[in-house]
Amino acid sequence: MNPIDRKLYLASITDRYVKGKMDRRSFLRAAGKLGLGAGVLGLSSMMPFGSRGGFISPAAAAEIEPDAEMMAWLKDVAKPFAGQTVRLATESTPPSNAINSALKPFFEEATGINVEIEVLPLEQVLQKLTLDVASGLGTYDLYYIDQSWMASFSGDVIDPREKYAANKDLAMPNYNMDDFLPALVDGISMYEDTMVGVPYDIPIFITMYRKDIYDELGLKVPTTMDEYLANAVAIQEAKQPEIYGTNGQMKSGHYSLECDWTAWLWSHGGSIFGPDGKFTGNDEAGLAAMDYWVKLFANMPEGVTTWTWDGQGQSMAQGIVGQTLSWGEFFPFWDNPEASKVSGLMEAAVPPAPKAPLRTTDQTGFGEIPGVGHQGGSSLAVSKYSKNQDAAWLFAQWATSFDTQVYITTLGGGTGPTRESVYDDPRVKANAIKGIGGTTRHLDAVRETIANHMGSEPDLPEWAELSNDTIPVELGRFWAGDYDSPKAAMDSIAEKVDAIVDRG
Amino acid sequence: MLLSPTQRVLRAFAAWAVVALFVFPIYYWITVAFKVEREIFSLPPKVFQFTPSWKSFEEVFGVSLGFENGLEVIPGGGNFYMTPRLVDSIVVAFFSTILAVAIAVLAAYALSRMRIKGQHHFVFWILSTRMMPPVAVAIPMFFIYKNFGLLDTHVGIILIHALMNLPLAVLLLKSFFDDIPTEIDEAALIDGASRFLIFRKIVLPMAMGGVAATAVLCFIFSWTEFLFVLTLTQTSLKTVPVVSSTFVTSTGTAWGNMAALGTAAMLPAFVFILLVQKNLVRGLTLGSLKQ
Repeated sequence: MNPIDRKLYLASITDRYVKGKMDRRSFLRAAGKLGLGAGVLGLSSMMPFGSRGGFISPAAAAEIEPDAEMMAWLKDVAKPFAGQTVRLATESTPPSNAINSALKPFFEEATGINVEIEVLPLEQVLQKLTLDVASGLGTYDLYYIDQSWMASFSGDVIDPREKYAANKDLAMPNYNMDDFLPALVDGISMYEDTMVGVPYDIPIFITMYRKDIYDELGLKVPTTMDEYLANAVAIQEAKQPEIYGTNGQMKSGHYSLECDWTAWLWSHGGSIFGPDGKFTGNDEAGLAAMDYWVKLFANMPEGVTTWTWDGQGQSMAQGIVGQTLSWGEFFPFWDNPEASKVSGLMEAAVPPAPKAPLRTTDQTGFGEIPGVGHQGGSSLAVSKYSKNQDAAWLFAQWATSFDTQVYITTLGGGTGPTRESVYDDPRVKANAIKGIGGTTRHLDAVRETIANHMGSEPDLPEWAELSNDTIPVELGRFWAGDYDSPKAAMDSIAEKVDAIVDRG
Repeated sequence: MLLSPTQRVLRAFAAWAVVALFVFPIYYWITVAFKVEREIFSLPPKVFQFTPSWKSFEEVFGVSLGFENGLEVIPGGGNFYMTPRLVDSIVVAFFSTILAVAIAVLAAYALSRMRIKGQHHFVFWILSTRMMPPVAVAIPMFFIYKNFGLLDTHVGIILIHALMNLPLAVLLLKSFFDDIPTEIDEAALIDGASRFLIFRKIVLPMAMGGVAATAVLCFIFSWTEFLFVLTLTQTSLKTVPVVSSTFVTSTGTAWGNMAALGTAAMLPAFVFILLVQKNLVRGLTLGSLKQ
C-alpha cells in the first residue's frame, strides 16, 4: 500500500472507531495490518497527545487495556440503563480530553450508555450549569464543578457517598473512596457536610524553573519567598532583554489574576477572609503580600497584565521566562518539543515556604485553607435534576476509578491524578521521561504540594462572583494604575467584597 | 482634474497602504494556521519566514493531507475535530437566510405597497425588536426550546437565526421596494395582473439586487452569531464562532487550530458573497440616485 493510501485507510478506520462505528477488535486488526503496533511507532505511544486537542496515536489506542474485571462488572450492572444518554459540560482539561477522545468508547461499548461530552471554556461551563440548575430541567446529568463554584452548586447535586451507600448494586467494587487524596477531598469536594462530587482533576501551583539558567547563574531551587524573588531578580539582571525573571497570569477581570493574588497573600501569612467573615486582604499581611507582588512584577514581561494562564504558559514555552509559580499541568506541555522551545530544560519543585506562618482554618472564614500551592481542582458531580442519575453515577465512578485515572494520566498529558495509588503506578512512573509531551516527571512535586503546601479558596455561594469578577476587576484596576497605593486598592476591594457577602 | 505623475504615484501608494492595513491581520491569521505551535509566538514574529505545516488543518478537519511524513493524525479523534461543525454552520446560515429572506420579501412588499392603519407604528415596532439585547431573549428561549423539543437541534437554530434577522431584512427590503416606482405596479394592474403576479414577475426581479444584499447580511449575521448557539445547543450541533472558543483549554489556547478553523470559515461566506456579487453591488447602490 502506498503511503497516501495507507494514510487515507488509517484515517478512515480510526474515524469509524472513535465514532463507535467499529469495534475495538476490528480496529486493532485493521491497524495491525498497517503495521501500527506499539513497537513500530516507538516513543509516540508515550506522547499520544501532540497538542491540546486530545489527539490519540494509533499505537496509544492499541495499548489501552481497561481493567477486565471492572469492565465486566460495568457490562453486567449497566444492562437496565443501556440506550440512555448521559451529558456532561466540562472545561477542556487533560482528563476530559483523554476521556472524550480515547477512553469513552470503552465505557460505551461495555455499558451501552451513550456519553455526550460538551467541551467549553471554563466561564461558559459556569454559564451552562447556572442555566441548568436555575431551570431545573436536567439538561446535563453530570456537572464539572470547579472548586470555586462548589458552594454555589452544593444544593443541586447528589452526595456521592449517599449514592454509593444507597444502592450497593451500583457501587463499583474496589472503587475505594479512601484512595482519593484526603487534602483534595477536603479542598475540592466538601462543602460543609456535603460531598459535592468526586475529585476529578487537580491543577495546582508548583515551582517550575529553567534548569539551564539556574545552573548558568549558580541559583538554587528557592525554598523561601525571598529566595524566589531574589532568583527572579538575578535572572532578570543577567538575562535581559531576552529573558525575564518570572511571569504571571494577571489579566484584569479574569479568575487567573485572583489565583495569583491568593498565592502571594497566603504566602505572607494573610487570608481572604477572617473568622468573622470579613475581607482581610487589606490587613498588614495582605499589604506585605502586595508589596512583594509589586517587586516581583518589576521582573515580569510587559504584557503580563493582559495574560491569563494562556499567556503565562506561552511565555514560558517561548523561552522568555526563567521561573514561575503556576499550574503544574503546564509542565508536560512545556516538555513537548513540538510545542515548546524549552523541552527538557524545565524542572519542577514544591512551592517556597511561606514568609510568615500560614493562617489556620480557625483564623480564616468560609473554610479557606491558606497554602502557597493554590489549587484549582474540580469535582465530578451527579445532578439532582438528571433523569438518568444511575447511568450518570456509573459513568462518574468509571471516570474517577483507579484504572481510568492511570490512563488519563498517561494519555492525558501528565495531569495530576486525584488518587494516591495512581502516583505509584508503574505505568505512570514509566512516563517520567525528560523532553516528551505528556511527561509525568513533575508529579512527585505535585503530590508533595497537594499533601503539604496546598491552598484552597473559601467556600461560600458568592465566591464564584467574587473570584471571577469583583476581586480580579479591582486588582486589574490596581495594576492599571487606578489606585494610588496597594492599601487604597485593598480597602476598595474590602468594601465591595463585604457588601456582596453581607447582601447574601 | 488631471493629476501629475507624482500625485498619481502617491495616490496609488496611499491606496495600497490602506489595503495592506486591512489585509495584514487576515494574512497574519492565515500564517498562524500554517505555523507549528512553537513558532506562533516567536519573538520577533515570523511574518514571512516560517516553516509551513498542515498539522493544524489536519487536526481540525480530520484529514490526513499526506504532506508530512511520519505524522499520523487521527480524524475524529480529538476535541478539535471541526468538520461537522463547519457543516453545521453552513446548514444553519444557508437555511436561516433562505427562511428569513423568503418571509421578509413578502412582508416588505406588503409594507411598501399596501396601506394599513398604524403602518408607521408597525414599522417602528419591527425595528424595535432589533434593539432588544439578545441576552434578554436567550434565557426565555432556552425554556421554550426545551419544552418544544427544539433544544440542540438544527431546526431550532435555523428558526432563531431567521427570527433574529427578520426585522432587519424586512426594513432593508422595504426600502428597496420603495425605490421601485409604484407606477409600474399600477400599469400592470390596469393590464389585469394580480398583486402576487406583479410581485413575482415585475417587482421582485427588479429588486433582486436588494434581495441579494439582504441575503448576504443575513448570512453573515447567522455565520457570526454566538449567544443563541451557545445557549440553545449542547452536543448535537455547534457553529464556528462557538466551537472556536473550545480551543481555549485549561493549559492554554490552541491558536494554530483556531486559526485553521477561522481561515477555513472565511471561505463559505466569501464564496456566497462572490456568487451574489453582481447583484450585491447593484443592490447596495440601488436608490442612491434620486430622480
